[in-house]
Formats: sequence, C-alpha cells, structure tokens
Amino acid sequence: MPFVLTIFLVVLGVTALVGVLGYLIDRSVRRHDRP
Amino acid sequence: MISNLTPTHIHLLLNHFPTIGFSIGIGLLIGALISKSDDLKKAALTVLVAVALLTFPTYISGNAAEEAIQNTPGVSKSLIDTHEGAALLSFIFMEITGAVSWLALWQFHRRGQITSRTLWTVAVLVVITMGLVTQAANIGGEIRHPEIRLATESTTVEGPIGRDLATWVKAVPWVWPACESLHFVGLSLLMGVVLLIDLRMLGFMKQVSVHALDRLIPWGVLGFGLNMVTGMVFFIAAPEQYTQNIAFFWKVGLMILAVFNGLYFTVYDKAWALAPGDDAPPLSKAMAASALLLWVGVMYYGSMLPFIGNAF
Repeated sequence: MPFVLTIFLVVLGVTALVGVLGYLIDRSVRRHDRP
Repeated sequence: MISNLTPTHIHLLLNHFPTIGFSIGIGLLIGALISKSDDLKKAALTVLVAVALLTFPTYISGNAAEEAIQNTPGVSKSLIDTHEGAALLSFIFMEITGAVSWLALWQFHRRGQITSRTLWTVAVLVVITMGLVTQAANIGGEIRHPEIRLATESTTVEGPIGRDLATWVKAVPWVWPACESLHFVGLSLLMGVVLLIDLRMLGFMKQVSVHALDRLIPWGVLGFGLNMVTGMVFFIAAPEQYTQNIAFFWKVGLMILAVFNGLYFTVYDKAWALAPGDDAPPLSKAMAASALLLWVGVMYYGSMLPFIGNAF
C-alpha cells in the first residue's frame, strides 16, 4: 500500500475511534444528566 | 545547588511517588467504599489522578537516568531494559486509572454522585496497577542495589517492551508521520474545548450557559489522551531527542501545571452553575486566564523542540 495512503487510513481510523468513544461518553452524559 | 539539578535527580525523587502515592490512594478508596463518604471518594480519586500525572515525569526522567548510568560497571543494561518495559506497562495502566478516576470526579461534579460501576472500575484498575507498579519499582531498585538482587537476573512476562516498541517505530516508516498527524488532531480537540470554556469564563459568549459547555470536557480529555499516547510513542522511540532538551522540560512542566489547573476547574470550581448572562467569579477568571497561558506555553515549547532544544 502506498506510504501516504497508509498514513491517511491510520489517521482516519484512529480519529474515527476517538469520535465514537467521545460520542458514547456524551450519550452517557446526556442520559444521566440531572434535569 | 539547584543549578546541579538533572533529570536523574528528578527520577530519584519521583520514583517513589507512584508506589507510595498509589498506596495512599488505595487506602482512601477502601475507606470511601466502606464508609460511602462522598468526601473520601473525592479525596481518593483526586490522589489517584495526581499520582497518574506525576508518573509521567517519573517515566520520562527514567530514560535520562538510564543514559547517565548505563555504562557504569556493575550496571546491567538488560535489567534497565526490563525495568523500562515493566515501567511502561505500569505507566499505561496508571494513566488509564487516572483517566477513569477523573471521569468519576467529573461525574460527581456534574450529577452530584459517582455511579458504583465507575467506582468499582477504578477499584479493579487500582489493584492491577498497584501490582504492576510494585514490580517495576522492585526491578528499578535492583539496578543499583545488589543486596536485593536474586541469583539470576529478574525478568518479566512482558520483557523489554519499551525497546521493542522503539525498534518497531523506527523500522516502520508510516508510524512516526501518522502519530504526528494524530498529535495535531488531539491538539485541535483539546485546544478547541480549552478555548471555548476559558473564553466563556473570561466573559466572552456570556449568552452560553457554562453547564452546556461543561459537556464538551470529555472531548478535550480525549484529545489530551490521544496526545499523551502519540507523544509517548515519540519519546519511547527516540528518548535521546528529549532527555537533554530544555524545551521539552518546559513543555512537560507547563503541561503538568495545566492539567492540575484543569483538575481544579473540572472538579472543584463553582462556576459551573452559571446561567446564561452570568459573570464568572474572579478566581474562575484567574484560573481560566492561567489555563490559556499554560496551554499556549505547552504548544510553544512543543513546536520549539528542534529550535530551542536539540530535537531533530
């Protein structure tokens, strides 16, 4: 796989992982928030 | 005397903090679980976060100590590498424990209670981490104390994973540039949240409630975590670029102060009850201003690593 494509996919993948983790934490915060 | 201070001194000073500090944290946590006291829970979790943070300079100053003694007669390089591997594994668990402890504190400040699931997760992590830290500390002691060495040199299941990781990062060409890119992604997440919250505290965007902005904090912490991981990849792969680098010392020092500032802000500050239009109290404004200065300082010294210091 070309060098630049590998970097792009790794950065995209890890960023997406951080995004999913952030979303899950935020969803949990929203559910348990005090009114 | 202070002019003679080296990273080796810092390692000798700090290397007792993870074991002793964590022991204190565990004692407080057990007391909190038995008594169900909220104040004890907060104290235990704050100690665990603080120790996790101090483990960072403990780890990185260890590489400077290695450079200072690795050619000394009677010092085993392979034992140093085993100690480094054990320290890296315990460092990873320590930081995860610190992050979950912070999340528990943040939950408390936002919801008024800590869920028992979060607290028990911290308890399990603490037990695992304590075992790993004890192992790393004992092997570290064996490097310079022949009186506690066994007949055969100590080894661990994980082995010298720090050196293995360094070899891998140097051998695979895409790892370093990918981590550089991710370091900027983490920086953008962290600074985006820091700017929004601190500028609101200073009086900008007063129509926005602080409570609404508070929900963004885990995103900033995720950005910080991403930068911690990628930053450690750089450090482990090429420690010689950093251990004698004055810009790196400043970066780490300012970062530790900035995180303690963030800990105060996200857990103890009273400004989170501010409604839209309310002005923040003077102490909150001072903390917000200092946070901005500290994080800008971290970014400045990070970008100056090759220019003020000797990196690359």
